[in-house]
Amino acid sequence: MVQYNFKKITVVPNGKDFIDIILSRTQRQTPTVVHKGYAISRLRSFYMRKVKYTQTNFHEKLSTIIDEFPRLGDIHPFYGDLLHVLYNKDHYKLALGQINTARNLIGKIAKDYVKLLKYGDSLYRCKCLKVAALGRMCTVLKRIGPSLAYLEQVRQHMARLPSIDPNTRTILICGYPNVGKSSFINKITRADVDVQPYAFTTKSLFVGHTDYKYLRYQVIDTPGILDRPFEDRNIIEMCSITALAHLRAAILFFLDISGSCGYTIAQQAALFQSIKSLFLNKPLIVVCNKTDLQPLDGLSEDDMKLVNEMKADALKTAIGQGGEGTDADVLLTMSALTEEGVIAVKNAACERLLNQRVEIKMKSKKINDCLNRFHVAVPKPRDQKERPVCIPPAVLEAKAKQAAAEEKRKTEKDLEEENGGAGVYSMNLRKHYILADDEWKEDILPEILDGHNVYDFIDPDILQRVEELEREEGLRQAEDEEDDFEMDGTELTPEQQEALIKIRRKKSVLINQHRIKKSTAESRPIVPRKFDKDRQFTTERMGRELSSRGLDPSLAINRMRSRSASRTGRKRERSPEGRDDGMDIDDDTPSKKQRLSRSRSRSRSVSRPPHEVVPGEGLRDSAQKIKAIKLAKKSVKKRNKNAKRGEADRVIPTLKPKHLYTGKRPKGKTDRR
Amino acid sequence: MPQGDYIERSIKENGRRLDYEERKRKKAAREVHKHSQKAQKTLGIKGKMIAKKNYAEKAQMKRTLAMHEESTSRRKADDNVQEGAVPAYLLDRENTARAKILSNTIKQKRKEKAGKWDVPLPKVRPVAEDEMFKVVRTGKRKTKQWKRMVTKATFVGPGFTRKPPKYERFIRPTGLRFTKAHVTHPELKCTFNLEIIGVKKNPNGPMYTSLGVITKGSIIEVNVSELGLVTPAGKVVWGKYAQVTNNPENDGCINAVLLV
Repeated sequence: MVQYNFKKITVVPNGKDFIDIILSRTQRQTPTVVHKGYAISRLRSFYMRKVKYTQTNFHEKLSTIIDEFPRLGDIHPFYGDLLHVLYNKDHYKLALGQINTARNLIGKIAKDYVKLLKYGDSLYRCKCLKVAALGRMCTVLKRIGPSLAYLEQVRQHMARLPSIDPNTRTILICGYPNVGKSSFINKITRADVDVQPYAFTTKSLFVGHTDYKYLRYQVIDTPGILDRPFEDRNIIEMCSITALAHLRAAILFFLDISGSCGYTIAQQAALFQSIKSLFLNKPLIVVCNKTDLQPLDGLSEDDMKLVNEMKADALKTAIGQGGEGTDADVLLTMSALTEEGVIAVKNAACERLLNQRVEIKMKSKKINDCLNRFHVAVPKPRDQKERPVCIPPAVLEAKAKQAAAEEKRKTEKDLEEENGGAGVYSMNLRKHYILADDEWKEDILPEILDGHNVYDFIDPDILQRVEELEREEGLRQAEDEEDDFEMDGTELTPEQQEALIKIRRKKSVLINQHRIKKSTAESRPIVPRKFDKDRQFTTERMGRELSSRGLDPSLAINRMRSRSASRTGRKRERSPEGRDDGMDIDDDTPSKKQRLSRSRSRSRSVSRPPHEVVPGEGLRDSAQKIKAIKLAKKSVKKRNKNAKRGEADRVIPTLKPKHLYTGKRPKGKTDRR
Repeated sequence: MPQGDYIERSIKENGRRLDYEERKRKKAAREVHKHSQKAQKTLGIKGKMIAKKNYAEKAQMKRTLAMHEESTSRRKADDNVQEGAVPAYLLDRENTARAKILSNTIKQKRKEKAGKWDVPLPKVRPVAEDEMFKVVRTGKRKTKQWKRMVTKATFVGPGFTRKPPKYERFIRPTGLRFTKAHVTHPELKCTFNLEIIGVKKNPNGPMYTSLGVITKGSIIEVNVSELGLVTPAGKVVWGKYAQVTNNPENDGCINAVLLV
């Protein structure tokens, strides 16, 4: 379903351009060369392809048009009605229907002519048939030319329609022409609607957005409605009526009580009565605009009576919904020019709409989905004692005082606004400076003095800091002398001193390490310990640490070495043959081979001799591996296909072999072989 | 979001560029040169199309200019001649009217005897048999060549059933069978899509007429009940003759002219 955004419809080309596009595409994208000497099936398929290709293109383009234009039954009834008012539903449907018929006709033509092409027995006949087919397709398209032009106009206009969401919170503004609806919407939203002194300045719906209580509201400005019987209304008024009829919105009925729009209050009240039926089930607010020209109290008796009637009607709808009943909620005054009451009107409308929508939601079934999701947790009362909110009296006093102070105190911003605003009056920011001598407030501070920047030397606590610095200087010299002692005032024994030095050293090392780690932790990737790239974790280090604790490291080192990686490539040597019983646990005399291999692991840094072949990679022993290597080398050697006796053998058995010196080139150029 | 007539509004509020008028004028002036450049440089089919369009425009322009100049040029003064009176330049000649009239009736009598009718296409190109038929080889070894397939448009009646395939000599393929023709009324100058009732005569021979082959120049009978013609006696005319004016096998349709 196409949502309310009609801006994505592709451009509809007009008849002539359409034909040109398709025919030139056929000419470019299908093969162009054909001769009468070709086989008849080739000729036939050549022309059939052209006919089919043209038909496919027509079909595709016409289908996009039909699919992209919205079906009036599939979109929201508000938009369906609006499009009917603007473009006449019947005409629209007819145009699309004609395009559909054209598409089918073109398909039929292509089918018939492809059938006929099968009987074509000469190039001339096939060509004539193809020309006839394409010509008929283009004639079909020429006939729907006016429909295409109409659809293009409709598309251009549709793309400029405002995108109104029919289901969200909406405020609708209606009333006679020239009462101030567009000025109101300009004030509360960012929509820039034309405001002019003549009637029917606004000729279509305009939408703007405004916020209230963290929710977004659409505000729709409608063209003015005159008080006429329904059948006499023109298209512009019908747009407003459509919006009033289909959108579930809060309605602001604007009344111009000064009469400067050119219509009396009596006429406006008559309009209200005639479109009252459209206001059912919608929150209605009667707004009296242009109070700067004529205040509400200054109205005559009859006018007041009419206004009160309208107010009563509006009250009825309000009571029907939420049972409010306050006068101020249904009848409001404002002036768009002086901007008094504008925000109040907006807030009242938004509030009423929100309440109504919440109520409806609560009553509907959908609320259960929402209710399941939130849960207000209240602590379970453990006894019947009441525990009201406890605010200490001091806080209450402070709050009250602050409120009073805020009211009393005049801010610089208020002063600025009083004196004409931001561009007219510049605030005196220095008025409240706290300086040693009040006369210095208005002084201009130099920036450079004696070649130095003054600001480098300024600091509010500068005097304090100087004192501190001097004290530190004096202290530091004393500090260096009393370095190691005086933890608790007691002297330490020499061993303890040594221990203390060691501890301090270790601590500083740890701190440095931690600092380094911390400073580069985020940018440095953490390498897990098993990829020991810094070679921190070596057996020497382990040996050193252990020996420093007084333990013998040799066993541990041996164990590590026996598990080292250099040994994994080595298959475990079979134990010497001849041992039937497997009870030889303590085999202290390993065979010479094993001894040799084990001794090699001790000195890991010795490189292997070049001819040494290490078994592994699926090969059983060195001999097998040597064989495999030999095979691999042999397979890379080139085969002696020319039966050469050696590298230096340059004999050519036949100087001009026939298979190389016969035959034509496809292009006919055989200059050389 | 831009809504309504925002373009026109913005032009009205902000006006146009300061050099807008000048740019517009210069662009229009340059269009002529661009057009001529395009017409000279474009090659191929596009160039031919442009040349055709330009020629049509030029011819139209010449015609309008000639029309406007009609009043200014001088014309021969043609004195009005009364009915029956002899115009001034024939005063010295003898009267041969009656003799002419006589010879006309004699000519018509002769035509009736010969059976020649006044048709739009009196003469057509003869179609040879090998152009009309294609030999179809049949038999186990594909050596028998007695069957023929018609390669032109045909008409078979509504109640047509084929002879048993083993015995039919002339094959009329369904793809080449037509039932409707586009018939033009010579006086009304409009074309109707009418059903064919039958093939009356094919100028290439009676065999083709009996087969129902429709070529250029053949006379067909069409169902004109659509037109609502009525005889002076009051009877409704529902069948009339028409002569085929195109080659149906090349165009895929039968175009004919009604013989009134």
